[in-house]
Amino acid sequence: MSIADQSLTTELASRNDVIVCRGVKKWFGDFQALRGVDLTVKDREVLVVLGPSGSGKSTLIRCINRLEAHQEGSIVVDGVELTNDLRNIEKIRSEVGMVFQQFNLFPHLTVLDNITLAPVWVRKKPKADALAKAMELLERVGIPEQAAKFPGQLSGGQQQRVAIARALAMEPKIMLFDEPTSALDPEMIKEVLDVMKELANSGMTMIVVTHEMGFAREVADRLVFMESGEIVEVGTPDQFFSAPREERTKKFLSQIL
Amino acid sequence: MSTRNTPVRWVRENLFSSVGNSAQTVVFSLIILGLLRWLLGQAFAEESNWESVATNLRLLMAYNYPTGQFVRIWVSAGALFFAVGLSFATWNVRPMIGFRRLLTTLVGFGCFALICGLVTPGTTPSVVRTSMFAIGGVLVVGGLAAGRLVPRAGERNVGFGRLLVAVSGLAMAVVWLVPFGKHSFIDGAIAVERGVTIASSTKMPWTVLFAVLVSTFFAGRAIAVRIRKQLKIALIAWWVVGPAFVLFLVLRDPAFDWSRIWSVDVPIAAAFALGGGAVLYVLARPGREDLARVVGALLVGFALLHWVAGFAGWYGMLQKVRISFVLLAIAVLLVPTFAGERRARLRLSGGWIGLMVVLHWLITAINTPSTLVISAPPFIGGLVLTITIAYYVMLASFPLGVLLSLARTSKLPIFRVLSTGFVEVVRGVPLITVLFFFSIMLPLFLPRGMGISDLAAVFTGYTLFSAAYMAENLRGGLQSVRRGQFDASDALGLTTVQRTVFITLPQALRVAIPNLVGQAIATFKETSLIAIVGGFDILRIANSTIPNQPDFLGQKRPALLFVALVYFVFTYSMSKSAQSLEKKLEAGRVR
Repeated sequence: MSIADQSLTTELASRNDVIVCRGVKKWFGDFQALRGVDLTVKDREVLVVLGPSGSGKSTLIRCINRLEAHQEGSIVVDGVELTNDLRNIEKIRSEVGMVFQQFNLFPHLTVLDNITLAPVWVRKKPKADALAKAMELLERVGIPEQAAKFPGQLSGGQQQRVAIARALAMEPKIMLFDEPTSALDPEMIKEVLDVMKELANSGMTMIVVTHEMGFAREVADRLVFMESGEIVEVGTPDQFFSAPREERTKKFLSQIL
Repeated sequence: MSTRNTPVRWVRENLFSSVGNSAQTVVFSLIILGLLRWLLGQAFAEESNWESVATNLRLLMAYNYPTGQFVRIWVSAGALFFAVGLSFATWNVRPMIGFRRLLTTLVGFGCFALICGLVTPGTTPSVVRTSMFAIGGVLVVGGLAAGRLVPRAGERNVGFGRLLVAVSGLAMAVVWLVPFGKHSFIDGAIAVERGVTIASSTKMPWTVLFAVLVSTFFAGRAIAVRIRKQLKIALIAWWVVGPAFVLFLVLRDPAFDWSRIWSVDVPIAAAFALGGGAVLYVLARPGREDLARVVGALLVGFALLHWVAGFAGWYGMLQKVRISFVLLAIAVLLVPTFAGERRARLRLSGGWIGLMVVLHWLITAINTPSTLVISAPPFIGGLVLTITIAYYVMLASFPLGVLLSLARTSKLPIFRVLSTGFVEVVRGVPLITVLFFFSIMLPLFLPRGMGISDLAAVFTGYTLFSAAYMAENLRGGLQSVRRGQFDASDALGLTTVQRTVFITLPQALRVAIPNLVGQAIATFKETSLIAIVGGFDILRIANSTIPNQPDFLGQKRPALLFVALVYFVFTYSMSKSAQSLEKKLEAGRVR
């Protein structure tokens, strides 16, 4: 059993595995970004990934929906193994929602079109249903009045909330967050974190790469600490913040807290 | 700046801010005034006979189109004005223009007319100089007075509809009231009647045209309130195929063989439209993607077989059947991308049926001989030829350019190499060479029994040439699309085709607009090279036909100036409308 799995509480351990990574290795040219990552994510679990920049956190979650291809090891998402088979990739991508640091909204489409595009063309939903769902999601993230605007007319926090709504419109089983608040002004961070908390409470399976320690402590089921492309330590928030086992974790925590 | 920006202040700050700046202003003003004086002197010199333009207007516009059939030209123009009026209304171009800004423009024109009047050399006929002063005086005095007298002029706006009515009304007033004189050129004999307004065979159609423009604008505005989206789709479809219909059905007047049409052409078109539509409807159901791919692959093989058979001479087949099979194969391959529920499927089948109807009708019309009796082919010339070729070259080279640019940025090396090779070869060859090759060499390479008309040859060559440049302009736009846009589309599960159509291309186009407009302007002007391979475009008529007429021997200058003015009006309005398009798209721009 790898260190990533030892930390599971009995309650968590009884749930289904949604994501299973085994010995995932990834190189960018000569640089090895992931050095054999083992990780299991359970159904309805919120997993927060911490670590210094360049530690491979983003690469790991980008591998999970194949925005990057790993070179060794295996990744199984919702029972489907990620290979070069295009159909598997498309299937997994429509099950896994992703939110980016730079929002990556489509600037030439209105907020509503941003949200309905994929449901209509990928899920083949009727347009009217997609629109109704989009409005419902905009209510949920608190900005229904912005539906007809273009992303360029919104604040950063609003854009990120639209990005979350866009990902949710595909009705994913898993949500990946890649530093969702790092590009935001301080006063907008809370509005995005609130949406993410609400999502976590509703039972969504989430992997969140973030530097927000308050969010990690409050919402995470487990914390993963990565450095130099490997998982150093995994634990529940209490155990992680109050009694870190590894020297490297202690050093990291002393730098940021 | 805290205080109001007065003209005097602007002049002081921008033109006379320092000694060097003042010197520059004076020197360049003198140079510009000198050039203007020279130009006006050339235009209105005693040896410049403007009657050469006035009597030959018909030639310049439509070349040797039979006078008796001229009503066809007017009907075509009417169809264009109809669509222009509706398009203005539907796209709501510039709904409001500031009253103050309008006045400033008018006063500016007035000042220019006054300056022209002042600098015209003494050789100019007095009537020209007087009318310049008159026009300038009216515009300047009227504009300044309106600015003073109208209350709150700064806050008022003028609607586009009113402006359209005003401009059309003014144009009609000029045509009906100003005694330009009647000029006609019939059977080589020139008849000039001075002191009267222009012939009613010209006045009447123009009046009707402007009436059509204004009334379709207001009608369109009323309709667009309710069905703007449908109107937009209909108008886009019209702008793509409408001009071709006008050209081949109205202007060319084909002599249809109706018995053959009913027994051969209609059944083929119906079979493709309905059969293809049904196949698409069946395959577009979600979950049948794999089946669609298999059928698509089979159809591609089937379609290719017909082309190979055609070139090898195994069995004959109507060209339009071959083309239709290729299109059907492409459509079926695209089905998985655009599949969906009932409405999406109906839209797909409907689009296909529309495409087949239009395509088969056009091919039939093009292949039917014309009834027009014309001294020399092709059946169009003059400004009509210039506009037609420019318009269709732009339209056809656009999708081709898109495909080339996508191929060049593709991950697959074979596409990249082919596209790069094509673009570099074509860009390395002058347009004249391409036109020569297509009009003279290409017919020699075609298989026996296959011909290509001069017009089609020129059009094909020019389109390929233009597509290479368009591909390069678009490639610049494609490269400007941010990495994150690809990540986001991939993360949502969009396929490569969907990503390209919905995300990458629209963003690339926005960035590429200035370059594309530059290219469109170049394409418009370079149509004059058609003269080299035998076409009679407006420039060739002005440069070599008019100066050879017995009455105007050697009279080149007025006609050439006139042609320059025509080119300028077209290109300037192209660049102006592109500017307003850019402004309109600003909202969706990356911050």
